[in-house]
Amino acid sequence: MKAKRRIVTASGASAPARRRATVRRFKSAIVSAPPKGAATRRPPAAPATAEPSPPIAPAGGAAVDLRVDLGRGLVLPNPILVASGTFGYGIEYGDVVEVDRLGAICCKGTTLKPRIGNAPPRVTETPGGMLNSIGLQNPGVDAVVEKYAATWAGWKVPVIVNVAGESVGDYVEVVRRLDGVPGIAGIELNISCPNVGRGGLQFAIDADAAGGVTAAVRRATDLPLLVKLSPNVADVRPIARAIADAGADALTAVNTLSGIAVGPGRERPLLGNIYGGLSGPAIKPVALRIVYEVSQVVGIPIMAIGGVTELADVLDYLAVGAVAVQVGTAIFADPAIPVRLVDELAAVCRGRGLASYRPLIGTALPKRASAPSAKGAEYRP
Amino acid sequence: MRLIGAELIESREFLPGQWLQAYHAPTLATGSRAGQFVHVRTGDLSGLVLRRPFSINTADRATGTITIHFRTIGRGTSWFTHLRPGDTIDMLGPLGRPFEVDSRSRHLLLIAGGLGMAGVRALADEAIRDGRQVTLLFGAASAREVYPTSLLPDEIEYVVATDDGSMGHHGFVTELVPEYEAWADQAFACGPEPMLRALARLAATRRGRLGVAALGRKRGAGKAAPAGSPAARRKAFLQVSMEQRMGCAVGACLGCVVMATSGAPQRVCREGPVFASQEIDWDGGWGR
Repeated sequence: MKAKRRIVTASGASAPARRRATVRRFKSAIVSAPPKGAATRRPPAAPATAEPSPPIAPAGGAAVDLRVDLGRGLVLPNPILVASGTFGYGIEYGDVVEVDRLGAICCKGTTLKPRIGNAPPRVTETPGGMLNSIGLQNPGVDAVVEKYAATWAGWKVPVIVNVAGESVGDYVEVVRRLDGVPGIAGIELNISCPNVGRGGLQFAIDADAAGGVTAAVRRATDLPLLVKLSPNVADVRPIARAIADAGADALTAVNTLSGIAVGPGRERPLLGNIYGGLSGPAIKPVALRIVYEVSQVVGIPIMAIGGVTELADVLDYLAVGAVAVQVGTAIFADPAIPVRLVDELAAVCRGRGLASYRPLIGTALPKRASAPSAKGAEYRP
Repeated sequence: MRLIGAELIESREFLPGQWLQAYHAPTLATGSRAGQFVHVRTGDLSGLVLRRPFSINTADRATGTITIHFRTIGRGTSWFTHLRPGDTIDMLGPLGRPFEVDSRSRHLLLIAGGLGMAGVRALADEAIRDGRQVTLLFGAASAREVYPTSLLPDEIEYVVATDDGSMGHHGFVTELVPEYEAWADQAFACGPEPMLRALARLAATRRGRLGVAALGRKRGAGKAAPAGSPAARRKAFLQVSMEQRMGCAVGACLGCVVMATSGAPQRVCREGPVFASQEIDWDGGWGR
């Protein structure tokens, strides 16, 4: 199904006096508009019937290469992803988000068996962030494949399935069932969910366990394999190294920080599960530190996540060595943020005369410290 | 579901700590139904990362305005009170599923507790427009928190209960319900969870008490509709509008769930906020 994607502007300029006036069929050209009269360039491969594809290269402007090569044939169209758990299965936001303009979608954490998740309340706002404790509610891998894979296969945007489990066997079995399914572009191993009793976090806090589960999953699939790190450890570097050595294609850093909130009346903790995971702008400095540390000890690409709400956050993460960023909590405030960041990143590159965003990567890292990536974007020496 | 810019037309504190705000949002005014809600962005993203859900309190198609009704309980809600007419805020909506009124229902019983008025208020307008009779039972802590009659349509019967007896019935609003049970074809409620739980218990035993089943009435006797479908909800005597702490409000984050009798958590933002009372596991599920 190819639904027409609409963006309804919230700007005062086109305040909805009439319904039609509020609907823009296509994303308008990006910030720095090309001079009038410039020849319109279309991607040569675009079929004649396709909607004019606006994306990264506006007519006449220099095309900026935003592609991210994660290895094993997974090339993201741009480095702005939506984070697992904040974007459901990609369909929930409907016409409000142009999903085909995203770098990739990481879907909700998927387990072997259906899970009903934790008792509510499951979310609460905190200063500069939020706590969540969903407890991996999901219908199970088989239902996910049956319900969504066909839809995903029709999308241009790669869908990366986030996989969680309680044992190595669980992870391997889920991944086996995802392997070879059309519409599934990659796997993100969630070995760091702080909100489930058994499993989850235990794999992320020990280098041997993290390496073990990564290696087991690696043997089970040729799909691109991302592994999501937990910030709830003393030193994440040995864990990251173990995961990289075990054959992961990329790392996602980081998952939520464990935290709690106190309920009204102060009679008990607020969340039904007591513990929740902190996300949002509040955790950005922590995530930034971890990306900075990890990017100096592993050679595989790192996807940064933690409090991205504006372009400056994206540029910060790139500067400390990330090749891509995931947007999570900010989507709840403004679902249009990820697509806007894609445009803004391209505009910044154009403004600096860059043909690619890759020179922005690793600029804040200590010189000579980081090994060049074996695949994916090139690091600056 | 759209993202729209809504301009504040009027804002006033009509009860202590309670506000009514009217926004110009024609797509919401014409495209929403009673029971649906909007998810509204607060101004300061760095401090307040979540939107705030508000029931669409009233929707005026002629002027293209909707109103929201809220109590100031924290930084988010007080931010809204500082808005001035002319300010534009970002609304996502309409969201959730509306109340389902059976086309044969002539008498609607609306039950609201406190801020729950915001949940059922629009249904009063809708029902009167459709030529139905409406009785609205309203419960509040005291007279100073009673929703003013001037803000309600003239055509409805408005019955008030206060916990301290300072106005109307002295006691809970649920105590007024038995008097109207036989009159009502359908009931719709919004309010604190204990109130909804008590109403659900009443609704579950209503047929027996009134002898409806023995009379062999047709309502609800037809072919079974799947639980949660609009048809099944239309057949339910009581529909409730549930509240839960909410994240995305579109069904993506699974933050705002309530447990259903089916054993599957239901998203208040997507399957709700309106549910048939028998869909909800009022004991909370999750082995509590």
